[in-house]
Amino acid sequence: MTFGAKTNGSDDLKAIISAISTLVEEATFVATSEGISFRGMDPSHVALIDISWPNSAFEKYECDSDIKFGVRIDEFSKLIKRADKKDSIEISISEENMLLVTVGKNKKYKIRLIESSATDTPLPKIPYDSKIILTSSKFDKILGDVQVVSDYLTINTSESKGDFSGKGDSGEVVIDLDKDDDDIEEISSKSDSVGTYSLEYLNPVVKAVGSNAGFITCEFSSAKPLRIEFKVANIGRIHFYLAPRVET
Amino acid sequence: MGLNLKDLVIREKTTLEAFSNKIIAIDAYNAIYQFLASIRGPDGLQLTDSEGRITSHLSGLLYRNVNFLSLGIKPVYVFDGKPPSLKTAEIERRKQIKKDATIKYEKAISEGNLEDARKFAQQTTSMKDGMVKESKEFLTYFGIPFIEAPSEGEATAAHLTNTGQAYASASQDYDSILCGAKRLVRNFTSSGRRKIPNRNTYIDIVPEIIETQKTLESIQMSREELVDIGILIGTDFNPNGFERIGPKTALKMIKQHKRLEDIPQIQEQLNEIEFEQIRKIFLAPEVAKVDEIKFNEVNYEGIVNYLVKERSFSEDRIQSTLNRLKKALEKKSQNLDQWF
Repeated sequence: MTFGAKTNGSDDLKAIISAISTLVEEATFVATSEGISFRGMDPSHVALIDISWPNSAFEKYECDSDIKFGVRIDEFSKLIKRADKKDSIEISISEENMLLVTVGKNKKYKIRLIESSATDTPLPKIPYDSKIILTSSKFDKILGDVQVVSDYLTINTSESKGDFSGKGDSGEVVIDLDKDDDDIEEISSKSDSVGTYSLEYLNPVVKAVGSNAGFITCEFSSAKPLRIEFKVANIGRIHFYLAPRVET
Repeated sequence: MGLNLKDLVIREKTTLEAFSNKIIAIDAYNAIYQFLASIRGPDGLQLTDSEGRITSHLSGLLYRNVNFLSLGIKPVYVFDGKPPSLKTAEIERRKQIKKDATIKYEKAISEGNLEDARKFAQQTTSMKDGMVKESKEFLTYFGIPFIEAPSEGEATAAHLTNTGQAYASASQDYDSILCGAKRLVRNFTSSGRRKIPNRNTYIDIVPEIIETQKTLESIQMSREELVDIGILIGTDFNPNGFERIGPKTALKMIKQHKRLEDIPQIQEQLNEIEFEQIRKIFLAPEVAKVDEIKFNEVNYEGIVNYLVKERSFSEDRIQSTLNRLKKALEKKSQNLDQWF
C-alpha cells in the first residue's frame, strides 16, 4: 500500500480540520486514487459535514489502494496549527500504523491512529427550493448581527428577494438582502421558503472555513434542512447540512 | 444481583447526547431502585415529604427526565409484572440482605459512623407498593409513556429493541443481553459525578453502550451459548451459580462443550437446577406486545401541583428546573435522520 498526500500551504487543511472539529471528536477519512473524503455527523445528528478533496488539489498525491484512517481530531488539529501559512503538510501512514505528518521541510510528527468506528453516513435527500449565494465574510457578518438578539437564524426567500432574521427574548432583527450588493451573487426561489437554523451549529463552521471560502451557496426548503456549500480555493468542496429548528 | 458478564462484554463509553431523538426502553424498576438507593441525605435517609412519605424516586425521575427531554431523548419506562416463580430464591436472598443491612445500619447510627450508616442504608433499599403507582402517575405529567410488562421488564425492553420500536434498552443488569436486547445502555439513569464508597474521591459515571452482536462476535458465541454461560456464573434464577466457576471458566467450558448438558464435570450440580426453564426465561420470555409508543406534551402545571402541593418539593427549585426544560424544548433542532 502506498499512500501520501502533500498540500501546498497549510490554510486549506487548517480550515477543513477546524470545520470537522466543530462536529466530531474522532474523524475517519477515506483515501482513494481520486482523493480524500470525509463524512460525519455530530452525536445528535443535527448537522453533517461532507468533504471531498480531489487529488488535483494536492501538490503531490498518491494512493494505490483504498484506505480508511481515523484520528482524534483535537490531536490532529493541534499539530496542523504548528504549521506556518506557507508550510506544506504531507501525510502518510507508517508501517507501524501511525499517521506521519510532515510540516514544512523539517518537522516530522507521528500520531496514533484510532480504530475507525465509522459507519456509512448517508446524505439527506432534499429538493431545494431556494438558493442564496453570497460571500462567506458577508454571511459571517450577518450571523454576528443576528446573534445579538437570537440563537437562531431564519431565512426567508420569495422569488428573487430574501432576508435573514432572528428573534429572541430581548428583541428581533431583520436584515434585507440587497441584490446590488457585490457580496451577493444570487437569490432565487422556486416557491416562498422559510427555514430556521441554529446559530450554535452555523457560527463555528462558518468561522472555521472563514475567508478561505469566497462565495458560499445556501440552499434550503421550508422546514427542511439547510445545505451550505463552501468552495475553498484548492479543496474542492465542503457541504454542511443542518437540520431545521422545530417550531413549538 | 443480576449477572456478572462485565468481563465478557464489550462496553463502549458514550454520552447522553448520542441518544438524542432516540427512543430508549428503560428498565423502570431498575431505575427507580437506583434513585431510592442513591438519592439520600448525608445520614443515609431518603428524602421525604411533610407526611414522611419517601420522595427520592420522584426526585430522581424529575431530574433525569428533564435531562432526557432537554436532550431530545425519548424515554419509555417498562415496569415489571409478575416475577418468574424461579426468582423466589433470589427474592428471598435479597430480603435477607436487607434485614442484615438494617441491623448494621442501626449499629452504625448508634456508633455515629455516618459513612457506614449511609452505605448500609442504601442496602436496605426496597420498593414499596405505592412508589410504582406514584412513579407511573408522575411520568404521565411528563407525557412520557410507560409499558406494563407481563413478567420481567428487561425482557419487554429487549423485545422493543428488536421490533425497532426502541433504539436500546437501559438497565444496569446484563440480563438484558441474555434477553436479546440489540443494545444495552448502562449508567443511563445514573450518569454524573459519584462518590466512591469508603474513599474521599469522586468519579464521573458516563453512559456505556453494549452492542450485543459485537460482544457475541468477539467471544465467538451464540446468544444461546451466552445464556448457558450466564447460568454457569449465576443468574437471578440460580443466584449461586456453579461452584468455582467465574466468567472466564464458564466461557472456556462452553467454548469446549457448547452446552450445559455436555460439560461432564457439572452434571451433578446441573441436575439440581431447572436450567431448561431458566433458558426459556431468557430466550423465549413473556413480553408485552406494544402497538405504538406515544409521547405527549409536558404538563408543567401538573408537575408543579403534584410535587409542590402534594409532595412538599420546593416551588422555586421545581420552577427553575422546569424553566430549564421549557427553554431546551423551545431550542430543539430536529435531526437529519428523517431526511435520509
